[in-house]
Amino acid sequence: MKKITIANRNNAIYEVRGNKPLLSELRSLGLDLPYGCQYGGCITCAAKLIKGKVDQKSQVALNNRQINNGYVILCVARAKSDCTFDIGVESHDKLYRNPFIDPLAQHELKANIATVREIKDD
Amino acid sequence: MEGLCCGPGYASPSEAIRAPSEKLLYTIAIYTGTGIQKPDYLATIDVDPKSESYSKVIHRMEMPGIGDELHHMGWNACSSCHDDKNMSRRYLLVPGVRSNNIYVVDTATNPKAPRIHKIIQGTEIKTKTNLSGPHTVHCLGSEIIISFLGDAKGEAPGGYLHLNKDFEILGRWENSMGDIPFSYDFWYQPRHNVMVSSEWAAPNTFMPGFDLEEVGHLKYGRRLHIWDFEKKRPIQTMYLGEDGLIPLEVKFLHNPNSSHGFCGAALSANVIHFWKTKNGSWEWEKIIDIDNEPHPDWPIPIPGVMSALLVSMDDKYLYINNWLHGDMRQYNITDPHNPILTGQVWMGGLLGRAPIVNGIKVAGGPQMYQLSLDGKRMYVTTSLFSTWDNQFYPEIRTKGGVMLMIDCDVENGGMKINKDFVVNFGNEPNGPSRCHESRYPGGDCTSDIWL
Repeated sequence: MKKITIANRNNAIYEVRGNKPLLSELRSLGLDLPYGCQYGGCITCAAKLIKGKVDQKSQVALNNRQINNGYVILCVARAKSDCTFDIGVESHDKLYRNPFIDPLAQHELKANIATVREIKDD
Repeated sequence: MEGLCCGPGYASPSEAIRAPSEKLLYTIAIYTGTGIQKPDYLATIDVDPKSESYSKVIHRMEMPGIGDELHHMGWNACSSCHDDKNMSRRYLLVPGVRSNNIYVVDTATNPKAPRIHKIIQGTEIKTKTNLSGPHTVHCLGSEIIISFLGDAKGEAPGGYLHLNKDFEILGRWENSMGDIPFSYDFWYQPRHNVMVSSEWAAPNTFMPGFDLEEVGHLKYGRRLHIWDFEKKRPIQTMYLGEDGLIPLEVKFLHNPNSSHGFCGAALSANVIHFWKTKNGSWEWEKIIDIDNEPHPDWPIPIPGVMSALLVSMDDKYLYINNWLHGDMRQYNITDPHNPILTGQVWMGGLLGRAPIVNGIKVAGGPQMYQLSLDGKRMYVTTSLFSTWDNQFYPEIRTKGGVMLMIDCDVENGGMKINKDFVVNFGNEPNGPSRCHESRYPGGDCTSDIWL
């Protein structure tokens, strides 16, 4: 079992197995979480990982900057260790940015296009 | 045979213009992406000036769950089956872009308090048709076609869901997507056996928000597609290039004999005009080009973001919005090659021209709009899409969306914001929601197609 701490819900603690996406595990334990597509494509359920490890390799919504800022797509991510999260839109301070004022560098794009660019440059 | 038939809609656009004024609107309001853990809902708005509850939300029909992101919607029937007395414009089909669910809403039993008639589950649509990301709903006779932007995993190009009049899944509508890379809006003109479709992006690209760099990586559209409507396959691509970055809404003139139509290229902030030539091929030209505007905090000038357009029922006026600039414009398109600017109003936007309208501080800019059949009353809302709102207008989270009404002068041209009408979705009982598309029970300027 993994211990999931929700920092911005008074450090509430939930015990999960880690064999299912965190969204479904935490909701089944009574935590009310936002979600949309439920396949890792739409970002509605994004939460910020403060401590711990997750496997979210099937997500396709986050760019590399968002991943580096700790964002996790809960509808597909599985806990790999004890984790601490901030959840909900209060955790989205760095998730949304005006793309004209604050553009991404090549390495900060979504993984699929950042990779394509590297191959081209070679 | 005008007025003799008893099916839905009207015998012709000119008959539609003479229909009674709308008394109710149905408007989508969302909580998805706002931080409020409540379902999106369909708001009924009283637009009868004689009513005590004029300019107020008088009913809220909540969806059964959270996270749909309701967006666009359409009727089960329109003037395309005007001669079918067994049909009626009774059901509104309301898709959730993120959940893939389609809610069939009965608006006839109690027009003020619509209710859910049937739910087509998103999982069933994925399993049977490999589609996700529903957008535009059109009917043709007793059948219904809905564009989807992605496959079941959210990758482009998506395709078209085909429903029968009982809202059962028949499968995919199209016989081929050809080499179309992206889907979005579509409109058709049966007398020319043509459908035109436009391009946004894959759901996995646009749903998380807008990364400008992805335009350069060809993750967003820049083409229009001409279809053989009967054969249900694309036959010609119009590559718009830099003039047509992110071509979104497509509308033909309402006159069913006309082949002239228009598309708003959102990022280029251009209007593309297209038409059929004498030899049967299709041509296009850019007829309106909105300049980007400087902003003290922006390193580059702000594009208009022309996210929608519509044509008045008499085919005289074209309306466009610039969501980031904050203006709505009216053009006389009597000569569709040479539009003439005849009206402009400001509400919200990033340029600071009209931050407060009718006493409300507007978060967002003019985004979706619907026009009365007589062309005189335009209802405008301010939210685009939850994630994109959050990027460009983060204050909409606490302020919510706004609906305003523009009085349109159909004789001489001109637009004026009506001082007596405002619906502030910032004051909704469950907290600030965001309003998007509207439909009128008796039809409007984006619901009807004539055979």
